Amino acid sequence: MKLAIVDYGMGNLHSLVGALDYVSNIDVLVSSNIKDLRQADKLILPGVGHFLSAMACIKDLGLDAVLKELVIEEKTPILGICLGMQLLTDSSDEGGYSDGLGFINGRATRFNSNELPVPHVGYNQVNAAVNSRLYDGFGPSPDFYFTHSHQLQSDCSIGQSTCHYGNDFIASFEYENIAGVQFHPELSQTNGLKLLKNFVELF
Amino acid sequence: MLRNRLIFSLIYSDGFFMQSRNFRLQRVGDINWLEKNYRFHEIAFSLDELIILNASRTGKDITEFSKIVSRLACKVFLPITAGGGIRQIGDAEQLFNSGADKLSLNTVLYSDPVLVDSIAKKYGQQSIVAIVDYKIEGDTPVVYIDNGTQKLNITLLEYIKNIENMGAGEVVLNSIDKDGTGFGYDLDIIERYKSHINVPLVVSGGAGNEHHLAVGLNVNGVSAVSTANLFNFIGNGLPNARSYLIKNGFNLADWRK
Repeated sequence: MKLAIVDYGMGNLHSLVGALDYVSNIDVLVSSNIKDLRQADKLILPGVGHFLSAMACIKDLGLDAVLKELVIEEKTPILGICLGMQLLTDSSDEGGYSDGLGFINGRATRFNSNELPVPHVGYNQVNAAVNSRLYDGFGPSPDFYFTHSHQLQSDCSIGQSTCHYGNDFIASFEYENIAGVQFHPELSQTNGLKLLKNFVELF
Repeated sequence: MLRNRLIFSLIYSDGFFMQSRNFRLQRVGDINWLEKNYRFHEIAFSLDELIILNASRTGKDITEFSKIVSRLACKVFLPITAGGGIRQIGDAEQLFNSGADKLSLNTVLYSDPVLVDSIAKKYGQQSIVAIVDYKIEGDTPVVYIDNGTQKLNITLLEYIKNIENMGAGEVVLNSIDKDGTGFGYDLDIIERYKSHINVPLVVSGGAGNEHHLAVGLNVNGVSAVSTANLFNFIGNGLPNARSYLIKNGFNLADWRK
């Protein structure tokens, strides 16, 4: 089995590759090459940085069309991480309004910084959805490491699990073959390793 | 509930990890020593975050430092902040490509706001950890940069405002007077300044045992406590400190054993 981490030039991918190697035997490839992505059995869309510039990079590389083909038409399982999760949804107001890939109903807006320090940084407890594949084998409120200034909300039922920081926001979703986590499993110690293993084995 | 964090800071200089006391550095051991005597890759599972600082006084070689970061980042699954000597965007890029998740910035916060802004724009505000070193002179905190050698003619309050506007995602208040003493954190300054800081606050300088960590975590508004004391937390020091804090009801994350 092959897993491709979609590389669009943002942030540190070492920990993610290291974490996947640690928990499974899946072949991990970091690539922005369309041919590589087409050969993958599973995809991960990582991401650190600005929504607007990330979307621009994705479009420049022609990845928006190929992701749509693979994820929507061919139903290849995908996990979006942090910004990568937000990119799977409709839009964000980070750096000005920007459309996302639009695979999942949702929009990201900035946390209200009048009340709490922003960014939201540190481990926080996730209220894990019942029958979730991502949290299979976990207790009800596992800790994961978050670092973000924008939070996701959705009008639809997308298999969301929530987290609380000032208000409830979407910590993860899983809808058919599409999953996303706002936190960084690759930086969340053994909890994150287990979640990545669940994605590899259960999606 | 958002958890507080326990952070370990490693101070590196020219091939060695150092014990710092009031910013005077003493060699302790190289990376092999750290892996063997600290069983680094095991104790990393007892930490919330790791900070690796290049404190070399003789020119900070980013490429050589990146190799150290890369070796430490291998097979640990926690956020790593690295910094010391970042002077251009290429330095930032090199550290990110070596396994850093965030960058610690100090001197450039004063000398090169444009660089700080470009890092924030490219990698996001959450990737910038601003380290604020200060000394008490009279009864006023005075900000220092450049390994604590250059005094700034600006109040701590103004400085904090400036660096937040520049895009700092977290602020580390580091007391040079308390650094490496093991006498406990500078609670007076933390209490006086915490409400003026609008991003997560990390306190640093002075922790010598788990009680000091506990006292720091008990301050409302403190997001994380950091220790760089290699001597006082040797062996199982850090895992024991973490168990002690969790056993005593402190709000730290828990993960599968």
